[in-house]
Amino acid sequence: MKKYEAVIILNPNLSSKADGFIKDFKKLIKSNSFEILKSEDVGRRQLSYSINNHNKGHYLLFNIEGDASKLVEIENKIKYDESIIRHLFISVKEHSGKDSQLLLDSKNKKNDADDLKEKEVESKAEKDNSAEEIKSKSDEKIKDDTEEVSINEDEEKVDSNQENDSKEDEDE
Amino acid sequence: MSKYELPSKFDYKDINVLKQFITETGKIIPARVTGISASNQRKLTRHIKIARFLALIPYTDMHK
Repeated sequence: MKKYEAVIILNPNLSSKADGFIKDFKKLIKSNSFEILKSEDVGRRQLSYSINNHNKGHYLLFNIEGDASKLVEIENKIKYDESIIRHLFISVKEHSGKDSQLLLDSKNKKNDADDLKEKEVESKAEKDNSAEEIKSKSDEKIKDDTEEVSINEDEEKVDSNQENDSKEDEDE
Repeated sequence: MSKYELPSKFDYKDINVLKQFITETGKIIPARVTGISASNQRKLTRHIKIARFLALIPYTDMHK
């Protein structure tokens, strides 16, 4: 019994059928008395260089355990599968048992995309706020002008003071 | 302190670590420049080459 890591890059055009492929692949592996300890569906990724004129690939990772002689049979079958653009079986001493960095990165990317959207909304809200501030400032100026003309209207004075206070708060 | 992030174990799937040790053109930086141990350099080299095969990092910047 040996431990292996299997990496399979699927044709990106068939990535919608990836779930079906994973099922078939697991069947193939189990029929060769291999054990699947962990399977990861990383999803579509940009390839660093094009393979068979594909610029993207759907990455699958498996941690498997079984006999070396059976692995050759699996590989022979996979070789002629046209939905696979590249595959690799590597023997390892120990499986880490943790999620691979590839999967974490792809998850982070998704989260970042969500964050970006949120940030855009926030920045828009900030812009609105700043626009309101400018408006209130201009209102104050107008009120100051009116105060000079009509000093008797105390209410307006109070209002402008309050606005000044609130402005200071915003500055803080 | 060295300016390189060395993990406890190299992994061909951890691209961010491997990218520290390749040039912009994709070449592996020699250990005499990075100063990592010979043993680590051998492991690193193996994993960089695996990552290249899996199209996770480029062989060169001249692809296509």
